[in-house]
Amino acid sequence: MKRKERLINIGIYICYAIIIMAFLFPLIWIISLSLKDLQNLFSVPPEIIPKDPAFSNFRKVFDQSNLGRYLFNSVKIVFFTVVGTLIISVPAAFNFSRLRFKLKKSMLFGVLIFQMMSPLIIAILLFRYFNALGIQDRHWSLILIYIAIEIPFQTWLLKSFFDSIPESIDEAAEIDGCTKLQTLTKVILPLSAPGLASAIIFAGIHGWSQFIIPFVLLDSPDLYPVAVGILNYQSTVETISTHFLAAASVISIIPAVILFITMQRFIIGALTAGAVKG
Amino acid sequence: MLLSRKNKRFAFFLPMVVWLLVFLLYPTLDLIRLSFKDIGFVTEGTSGYTFENYTQLFQHSDFYTILRVTIIFVFFSVLFQMFLGFVLARVMVAGEDRGLVGTVVVRTSVLIGWVIPGVVVGIIWNLFLTESTTGILNYWLNAWGIGRLPFLSDPTWALISVTVANIWRGTAASMIMQYAGLKVLPNELHEAAVIDGASFIQETLYVTIPAMKPVLYTNLVLITIKTVNTFDSIIALTGGGPGRSTEVLALSAYLRVFRQFDLGSGAAIAVILFVINLVMTLIYSRIIDFEEEKGRAA
Repeated sequence: MKRKERLINIGIYICYAIIIMAFLFPLIWIISLSLKDLQNLFSVPPEIIPKDPAFSNFRKVFDQSNLGRYLFNSVKIVFFTVVGTLIISVPAAFNFSRLRFKLKKSMLFGVLIFQMMSPLIIAILLFRYFNALGIQDRHWSLILIYIAIEIPFQTWLLKSFFDSIPESIDEAAEIDGCTKLQTLTKVILPLSAPGLASAIIFAGIHGWSQFIIPFVLLDSPDLYPVAVGILNYQSTVETISTHFLAAASVISIIPAVILFITMQRFIIGALTAGAVKG
Repeated sequence: MLLSRKNKRFAFFLPMVVWLLVFLLYPTLDLIRLSFKDIGFVTEGTSGYTFENYTQLFQHSDFYTILRVTIIFVFFSVLFQMFLGFVLARVMVAGEDRGLVGTVVVRTSVLIGWVIPGVVVGIIWNLFLTESTTGILNYWLNAWGIGRLPFLSDPTWALISVTVANIWRGTAASMIMQYAGLKVLPNELHEAAVIDGASFIQETLYVTIPAMKPVLYTNLVLITIKTVNTFDSIIALTGGGPGRSTEVLALSAYLRVFRQFDLGSGAAIAVILFVINLVMTLIYSRIIDFEEEKGRAA
């Protein structure tokens, strides 16, 4: 029996190793490419760990592309998107959690449709409107749309966090003389700090990945966020600068990956609640 | 007094409602309207409404190619994401139950693909699969005597490649959902299965999977919607090519509107995409309702 148990454990560890390799290898390979020089790039057999890692690639890619600019743009757009989304979603989610009214179910369903809908569907017409108004090539007009796209998900997510806080706490706060708004900002929000943290992280990761809206709306390369900038960069590089494309890709995912790894516990909880579309 | 107080509370909804109406609902309705018009890229034809965009679309064999590509892409993506998600979740739960170390590392490795922007997923897989001399997979295949494979230049291989890249990226979501589902299964189920002398496979097929039904349905619907809407990774990986071999519905709508400036057929495809999203959302809302009812009864 003991031997069988040990065999099962070894079997599970082998599965672990296979899973980790299968999912990490494409990433390991791109990191490896990003550390090669021109000679190394075409060496046979390919070196997974370059003997003489060319860290200078990372500096060069900043020099010869607009990557720094793209990163800055992404940070800026994502920051305002997160703030705007929360300001709008928090009170709405609080209402959905606490109020009972006739149209509640239909409204929640309406919000859900928008959560599930591809941003491409609205991108086509928003492109026309924004062009007609002459506001297509601006960050703030992007942010308005990013917020709209993110609101439905955040409203559902925050509602589920508020649902987990008993209503008796609201009542106690009101007896102490709080208005509804004060109850929300002074009592409920501090209690839902972990929920807010996951909301912020999700909004951040979604915003960082947002692609079609800026791709369609922006004309000036100087305004591109990372996802669009890197696609643009990909179309300009040749095989002989694969290592630069790899370095740029590595840099572009570092913020999201670090945020994810350090804040994983906030994400898993929300994901496992099934509140996420994936 | 009470009523006015309640009305005041509805002000909390106001910003959300305004935002959704202006930026989401209105453009969607306008898109549906425009799909029934004879339109140019920026100008709107003055003539009345017509089914022309749809009839032309349905008459063209291109549309059926795109539909076929989409169905293959979505079907295999969803199938493997669910299957791998289940296997991974099962292995992780088994490891945790046995107190093995490393589960967090496994979970993190799988989830990283999920936080990477779709475009970068496409670039990463492009660099991994490329047929140029820098591609490592082709180097290995060659070294093992299988020979180089045209992962991105052959229509069939290209469709397999975009599907595999999407599975790599999307399995995380299924894994996490099913992991959560497995965690809340009552232990008595497992004990009963053991007492009945069920083998591991029998237990999985006849006890675990039936008990996970609501989770599996939710999972199925959510990743289907997600996959139907995916095209950012495909743009960076193959650009829809070679030919139209990896041009899925969403990508086709984009290409028609913004590259070929054919707003008519692009809008029609986007409306079809919207209808698919809508139907899937209806199904999804049925499932979560069903769960809520059950929760209330319990």
